[in-house]
Amino acid sequence: MEFSLFLQNMVNGFSLGSMYALIAIGYTMVYGVLRLINFAHGDIMMVGAYVCFFGMVSLNLPFIAAVVFAVTICAALGIITDTIAYKPLRKAPRISLLITAIGISFFLENLFNVIFGSEAKAFVIPQYLQKVLTFGDITLAMSAVFVPIITLILLAITLFILYRTKYGMAIRALAFDIHTVNLMGIDANLIIAIVFALGSMLAAIGGVFWSLNYPSIEPMMGVLIGLKAFAAAVLGGIGSVGGAVLGGFIIGFTEVVVVSLSPEFSGFKDAFAFIFLILILIFKPTGILGYDFEKSRF
Amino acid sequence: MKKITTLALSLAAISSFGFAKEITIAAVMPVTGAVAAYGQTAYEGVTLANKMRPTLKNGDTIKVVLLDTRGEKVETSNATTRAISQNKAVGIIGELITANTMQVMAIADKNKIPVIAPAATSDKLLDNVKFGSRVCFMDSFQGKAAAEFAAKDLGYKTAVIVVDQAQVYSLGLAKTFEAEFTKNGGKVLTKLRISSGDKDFKAIVSQIKSQNPDFVYVPTYHPEAALLARQAKQINLNKPMLGSDGVANPTFIELGGDSVDGFIFSDSFDASNPPTELSKKFLDEYEKDKGTRDIAGFTALGADAYFVMVEAMDKCADPGDSVCVNDQIHQTKEFSGVSGVISIDSKGNAIRSVVMKEIVGGKPTFKANVNP
Repeated sequence: MEFSLFLQNMVNGFSLGSMYALIAIGYTMVYGVLRLINFAHGDIMMVGAYVCFFGMVSLNLPFIAAVVFAVTICAALGIITDTIAYKPLRKAPRISLLITAIGISFFLENLFNVIFGSEAKAFVIPQYLQKVLTFGDITLAMSAVFVPIITLILLAITLFILYRTKYGMAIRALAFDIHTVNLMGIDANLIIAIVFALGSMLAAIGGVFWSLNYPSIEPMMGVLIGLKAFAAAVLGGIGSVGGAVLGGFIIGFTEVVVVSLSPEFSGFKDAFAFIFLILILIFKPTGILGYDFEKSRF
Repeated sequence: MKKITTLALSLAAISSFGFAKEITIAAVMPVTGAVAAYGQTAYEGVTLANKMRPTLKNGDTIKVVLLDTRGEKVETSNATTRAISQNKAVGIIGELITANTMQVMAIADKNKIPVIAPAATSDKLLDNVKFGSRVCFMDSFQGKAAAEFAAKDLGYKTAVIVVDQAQVYSLGLAKTFEAEFTKNGGKVLTKLRISSGDKDFKAIVSQIKSQNPDFVYVPTYHPEAALLARQAKQINLNKPMLGSDGVANPTFIELGGDSVDGFIFSDSFDASNPPTELSKKFLDEYEKDKGTRDIAGFTALGADAYFVMVEAMDKCADPGDSVCVNDQIHQTKEFSGVSGVISIDSKGNAIRSVVMKEIVGGKPTFKANVNP
């Protein structure tokens, strides 16, 4: 492989991985506090992409305003799903929560199918993000530069919230022991709502970024992406935010590397990503940065 | 007693002459789902053809019922079963995708219901069925036409093929293309595989760029082809791309935007030069209906599937006699349809021409005609 191709692939993998990372954070945080794998998370990402599209096309909002609109709607949607679907089941067995999450996922997919139709739609990309940058032999779209940078900033903000603020401390405490936290006078439901809002906001941004890179949106787009982001969260160690980001990058790079090393197998890149996940889990069942969850915290 | 017999006889006479029956043809098509664009455009053709010719020669009216397959295999077999058992369809037009059409034909064959596929191009489609036929060309011919066009008319020497490994259609086309292109002195540098539903082709296009071929052959359906073209432009890969009739619909151009300008593809019909009398009439009707003369290839093929079936029914004493109708379909000779002149052989395969088109300024424009 030539060096320029190698560099180009690194850039591609970085940009793909950062999008998985954004979505994986939502999985890992919700799992951390509720021990729930929120299968509706991938669909919230889809909602984010559609709301942003709707804002730009039907409400004529500028791109940034449409993103803010999408983020707000998704944060609200995250809180609403928690309130109506998960909150009544706080004391129920975990499996009921999981099934509810799958139900919410189907509901969102079909709702958007009815509203927008199942045909893929072309996402509108603002002119300034369509520019192509050239560095020697490497070329990349403006969005491919912009996406990882924003992701890293968002990641830093998330970590700051988790480790340097009062609410972050409450979230970590909740992950550690939900019952004791209640006894300490912390409103666990409020903290859980914050976690859902935060995760859904990141998912919405992930959805918008995804649509900037691959401008075709359809109601089922969240399924496979959500599954891979979930795999990323597990790979990195579910419950760990840093792990989710690391896992996202690993999955992104694996996909790109498979295609460039063995083009004949390029159609199986999804399979390779999951094989890699299995391999890691065989040797480290809690994921790379994970720890035994029953005994620990963030 | 005599009176009663006369009454009974006259009643029987009235019922056989006076009351024309209603014959049902089912359109089993994906009008929602990922490939809804195919079903919608084809169904447009079927309904317009039905409007132009709503009755058979013997006075029976033809009713078209639509059953949605959502482009999924399970839904397809449900829809087919429903068409046969509930709607009592005597003929089926559909599906659009090869894999699903095979499903329709397998079920219809057991019930001896003739099926005409408007757009399923796989060579193997009719291998195991007696009651199937099609009005479109076969992959071996489409792939061959594209390979010859690339090698002879465009003078290209090297190609990279991007094949969708989840689609029989794509695999079949890639195979015949490779064989023909090599035969014509070309060289296939590498074959890259993708799967339907993939969105990220950045690694694929980077790989193509490093191979530096004369052009890229992309025999996939439109959602993948459009994104591939977009991501190619993003990394300044300005190689010509050649596709198949999987991209012959307006959604492809909508998804691809500017990036698909210059994309060349094979199609079955070109609205700018109607090949037959029937196409001219059809274009006029379409314009009256929709106010445009831009007709997608699948619309013309949907109409042709309908016309061929009605033509065959007219030749049978009883249009509900499925064995006779199927035989007549298989004996279609030089039928001047909407999309061109179609002959159908005893196996059900159509012999017809291919049109090469190029997208210029967001519009498919005629490039060449390739005859069998």
